[in-house]
Amino acid sequence: MSLKLRDIITATDRETRDTSLEAICEVLSFDELIAECKSLDLFRRESENLYERVRALFFLYAIYRFYLPAKLEETSKDGAAVSFEAYAHLLERRFSEALDHFLDDQASAGYSDAISSALAKTYYELALQNLADQVQSSVRAVRGNQWMFRTGALEDYPLEVRSELLQCENSAYPLIYESTAVRMDLSHSAWSDIFFLGMDFPSGARVLNISVDLAVHGRDAHPRPPVEARFRVIDEPIIRLTSVDLGVSAEITELGDVFNFAKDYLGLLKAALIASGIVPMGLEGSGQRLSVLLETLVGLGRGFELVSCVNDIPKGSRLAVSTNLLGGLIAVCMRATGQTRSLEGPLGEGERRITAARAILGEWLGGSGGGWQDSGGVWPGIKVIEGCPSREGDPEYRISRGRLLPQHTLLGTDVISSEMRDRLRDSLVLVHGGMAQNVGPILEMVTEKYLLRSAKSWEARQESMQLFDAILAALQSGNIKLLGKLTTKNFFGPLQTIIPWATTFFTERLIDLVKVEFGKDFWGFWMLGGMSGGGMGFIFEPGRKVEALERMKVIMVELKGQLQHSLPFAMDPLVYDFSINEAGSSSELLTGEAALMSPGYYAMTLPLLLREDPRTLSQERRAEMERFEIRADADTSYDEVRDKLLTYLFPRSLNGNSSESSLDQLLDANGFDPPLHERIQEDMRRGLIGLSKNRLAASSQVKDVRPGDVTITTTAEDDAIGREALSNGEVAVVTLAAGAASRWTEGAGVVKALHPFCKFEGRHRTFLEVHLAKTRFAGSTHGMLPLHVITTSYLTDEPIRGFLDGVDHYVMSDSVFLSRGRSIGLRLVPMQRDLRFEWEEMPQQRLDERAQKMRASLREALLAWASGAGEGSDYRDNVPLQCLHPVGHWYEVPNLLLNGTLADLLSQRPQLRTLMLHNIDTVGANVDAAMLGYHRRTNAALTFELIRRRLEDRGGGLARVNGSLRLVEGLSMPREEDEFKLTYYNSNTCWIDIDQMLACFGLTRADLGDAPKVARSIREFSSRLPTYITLKEVKKRWGHGQEDIFPVAQFERLWGDMTALSDVPCSYVAVPRLRGQQLKEQAQLDGWLRDGSRDFTASLCEW
Amino acid sequence: MGIRKAVITAAGERQRHLPLQTMVDGQGRNRKVLGLLSDEAASAGIDEIGIVVRPGTAELYRDAMDDVSAEITFIEQLEPRGYGHAVLSAVDYVKDDPFLLMVSDHVYVSDDPNAETCASQLVRIAEEEDCVVSTVQPTHEGRLRNFGTVGGTLFDASRDLYEVNAVLEKPTPTEAEQNLMTPGLRHGYYLTFFGMHVLQPAVMALLDERANALGPNEQLDLSASLHEFSRRGRYLAQVMKGRRYDLDFRHGLLIGQLAVSLSGQYRDEVLSTITDLLARNSQRNAGNESDI
Repeated sequence: MSLKLRDIITATDRETRDTSLEAICEVLSFDELIAECKSLDLFRRESENLYERVRALFFLYAIYRFYLPAKLEETSKDGAAVSFEAYAHLLERRFSEALDHFLDDQASAGYSDAISSALAKTYYELALQNLADQVQSSVRAVRGNQWMFRTGALEDYPLEVRSELLQCENSAYPLIYESTAVRMDLSHSAWSDIFFLGMDFPSGARVLNISVDLAVHGRDAHPRPPVEARFRVIDEPIIRLTSVDLGVSAEITELGDVFNFAKDYLGLLKAALIASGIVPMGLEGSGQRLSVLLETLVGLGRGFELVSCVNDIPKGSRLAVSTNLLGGLIAVCMRATGQTRSLEGPLGEGERRITAARAILGEWLGGSGGGWQDSGGVWPGIKVIEGCPSREGDPEYRISRGRLLPQHTLLGTDVISSEMRDRLRDSLVLVHGGMAQNVGPILEMVTEKYLLRSAKSWEARQESMQLFDAILAALQSGNIKLLGKLTTKNFFGPLQTIIPWATTFFTERLIDLVKVEFGKDFWGFWMLGGMSGGGMGFIFEPGRKVEALERMKVIMVELKGQLQHSLPFAMDPLVYDFSINEAGSSSELLTGEAALMSPGYYAMTLPLLLREDPRTLSQERRAEMERFEIRADADTSYDEVRDKLLTYLFPRSLNGNSSESSLDQLLDANGFDPPLHERIQEDMRRGLIGLSKNRLAASSQVKDVRPGDVTITTTAEDDAIGREALSNGEVAVVTLAAGAASRWTEGAGVVKALHPFCKFEGRHRTFLEVHLAKTRFAGSTHGMLPLHVITTSYLTDEPIRGFLDGVDHYVMSDSVFLSRGRSIGLRLVPMQRDLRFEWEEMPQQRLDERAQKMRASLREALLAWASGAGEGSDYRDNVPLQCLHPVGHWYEVPNLLLNGTLADLLSQRPQLRTLMLHNIDTVGANVDAAMLGYHRRTNAALTFELIRRRLEDRGGGLARVNGSLRLVEGLSMPREEDEFKLTYYNSNTCWIDIDQMLACFGLTRADLGDAPKVARSIREFSSRLPTYITLKEVKKRWGHGQEDIFPVAQFERLWGDMTALSDVPCSYVAVPRLRGQQLKEQAQLDGWLRDGSRDFTASLCEW
Repeated sequence: MGIRKAVITAAGERQRHLPLQTMVDGQGRNRKVLGLLSDEAASAGIDEIGIVVRPGTAELYRDAMDDVSAEITFIEQLEPRGYGHAVLSAVDYVKDDPFLLMVSDHVYVSDDPNAETCASQLVRIAEEEDCVVSTVQPTHEGRLRNFGTVGGTLFDASRDLYEVNAVLEKPTPTEAEQNLMTPGLRHGYYLTFFGMHVLQPAVMALLDERANALGPNEQLDLSASLHEFSRRGRYLAQVMKGRRYDLDFRHGLLIGQLAVSLSGQYRDEVLSTITDLLARNSQRNAGNESDI
């Protein structure tokens, strides 16, 4: 071994430091890798340098996640198990303790795939925690922020509102109005604004950031600053917070409520109060009185009002709306309290910097995060923002190479002339594609890839850095055509090399359509922000921009219509008009008659005032209404108040008549069973069923399998049996595609089967296409195309049928069958006890300090929601499809009998004997001849495929329960730690012997035509299986791309419980992870791509 | 340089009465506040004092200065345009001489082991260093809103002298942390003005420049000019061995009086009287409690 990994980390020359991990690890033996791990672990414990520690941790993560498991194939598979005790440390974020435990286990019992997965996860989390801690500590250390953490007593409270704001004339206090731009990043310098990149690689962190005003094309008259904040003193000793865009207002009377972020939708305003120092951080949990603070701040008997407004710019615009809103709110609060020299006009450079630092603090408080360029809207015009090396005197000095806060260099018209700016405006069409996705995992991936320096992504980063200079030069010379070419090159080149998931099927299809329609006049595509699908830019020949503005919306809406079941769209696509904002965050003092809030504020508050007796209104309020009346008569922008007034007075509810009736129609049409529903509802309310009742009796003994319980290898004989059966057409595939992909899209309710999740052979493919491609390949190999059934539900049936029609069933129409579900459930508002059980009794991953506080506060709000909405009542307050639920995959097999699909299969292929049932996300499963042969040879009714458990494989496994071998669901484990005894995890791929299964139901092939008999048999059989209550997260969308997630209760019956029935003969076979693993979350995709899983799947497919 | 002149500003809106309040000095004599301040100045070798007053109010002050040995000149501030403007009003009086600047609503008590007065400590340093010097004291960030504040670097630890590089009037902690952090002080503490400076003509020239550029309703403060001066000339801040009492605060006169008396020759008498008062007061409170 010529080069130790720690030497790469500590190297002073750049070339050595930039050596990629893969270049070293691929040639190391298993033992050498283990030795490197020991050395790195020692090093990360000893090093005091942040960069060294974090890079060592990421190296360790990558070795345990990717390189050691690959080498393990050649070595023994036995070794240390993951202990529950160590896992509990991990959940509680006691990473060091967890690591020590895992490493001790590895040292004593030997290396294993399971322990490797646990170590990988723990090193990864510890690395991210180290980064987060450093950002937090740097934010706290920024000069101007430190005092806020020290102010723990109100006697020391230092702020007073400026005297100008206390000059009440004719019952009107003056009002500060702060307007702020949002930012767009023309260069997209490969996410180089992520804090850690900027701090570790300041010379590589550069962005070309432009402040813009926006208008929604076709709706607004002209672009204006999208973000507004207002501050004024009021004659009540309270803090009144109002978010006009979210339609929420609250009056705060307790200091503690300022720190309760998730209590309402005003978290951002509260974060601004804290980050601006009005309510210093040091007061959190101090139990002091708000009235005392207000007395010092604004005087006895007074309070203040803070109002935010984002002019209806939807979420997910990738224009950093929320960061700039936070910046605007912080700026207005700082102005009000004399923390800026200027009360009016733009901020000074030093003031912008402290505003940006505080916006980072505010985002940390609210548990969100962004890059350091996000507050670019606080600065005016076009600027280069770049990382800068830390120097003596900086809090980061000797901790990281760069400073937390970057340097902003404004590019005036002397650098980029007005004409060039106009050229950009005349060619660029800014759009919101309608998708609002979580970019958090992408930002983590970028950090990881940067630290690992894998050759491809490191080269891509260099290329992107070069493109930055070219993009800047193109803008300076006004060559917008070249600019478009460069941004397109960036998107399809370096950006996707670093993060393949930055693109989506929607984006690429959209680009193709625009290319077709505009031909050579389409000059280029430009990705805004973390990933594509939301905010994006399209660059056109100026002569066609007007046409493009109109057509883009039409094209996007049509495409969304085609893909709405496949991808999570949060809203209808739209097109923006924009102009470059040359002021940044700027303010005005409004006095006398002009001291009015925005029109939207009055649309919100007037209905409340109208309900009050005018005589009880304060003089201040009455005077304000008089001013409002005068202004409303003269100013047309206030016309919208009249339009919205009725809506606010009589709010329309989502569960209005139309959606109620369509929900009922859906229930009727999909086999809803009201008596069963009522029984479950009643049982749940009475506590007979529920999360705690899902568990097996506490006296149950759960033990791991014995030798011989699971077959490890199949034989040549199995393979021969299977090949014969396949070529004889005796097997069919059943793909379970009824589910709503709750985890995959975080509750968005799209059809997972139709999600174009990954590129194969140059284009995005859906899960469904991958499964059918595997079946096609099996057909080619064995000379007989297996029949393929796709089970569907109320949610997925129509979209899947439409999709398959659209692609002509991939020319497999004769052999593809759809089995529509015949059972449906109506979701229920959860019981508080179930929520508490889930959150308090079940092991939970503890979050970072602030995120944990956010979660606790959100959970309080959800408990109050459950109580207010009525525990155990029908969940109807959402779009109908989000109120319904499939009732578990157990029903999918009986459905084949009930809806005639099995009869159709047998009629087409009477020789059919076996079904291979698998989940939609088990993309590595195929009709493997050896597996089929093994199943046949054992004569089992059901053969389940298992994989060796890794840390992330939670949810049960194969166990001996009181001596009997069976699959146990995670939610029915008597004790949480029982799951950690189990070696095998259920892949849920199951081979079914058709005749034996029918026999279990008391049926034969001949009975399949007798529908009443089939129904009766299945109903009787189903009563032998347990009913589980589970909590699912569903999204409720509102406003402009806003989403709430609610945990709702539903019931399920699961196929694995068939193994608990003594009269169903079952066998179990261990399969490689590549075959048995499931893709549950999109965050898994990157690891899945990198560890060879995608290539394995591709090898099973014929397109 | 020899410093012989002092300027005391008494033209503020609230300062019409405070300088004329009667206090008992350390020797048990009844004196006006202005008289005490003149004594303080005289202790530093000052023999000419210019008092800046509102137009037409000089007579009010003249009687209060009967017992003062220094030569007194009254200077009228023609319009109320801020503290800096009041100081600038004395430009013709000070001519090209350095001078001691004091405010008329403070009293000072020295903690110097050799009983050197505050003004004397300041003037001595200013003469030794031949530069502009402001007296300062460390103040918690929670009280910065009341004071002009300086930032700087340690110049001479043995004499508690700092080289000033920034001055801000009544800063917020945000500004203070960014611009006024001074090494050697506890976290959250800054050097704030003590109400006593030795200024030189260059500062008056800066005040004059600013006055000429002033908008119609703008006020001229001293801090901005001192900040400007800190970039152009040598400017020291001296942490005073002493205490200052702002008579304009709540109970300011009472506390100021107590401080002066407790540092004077009748300390024991005053102390025993206070103790007696406290004892009686606590007896009464105890009695009230037992009644309840």
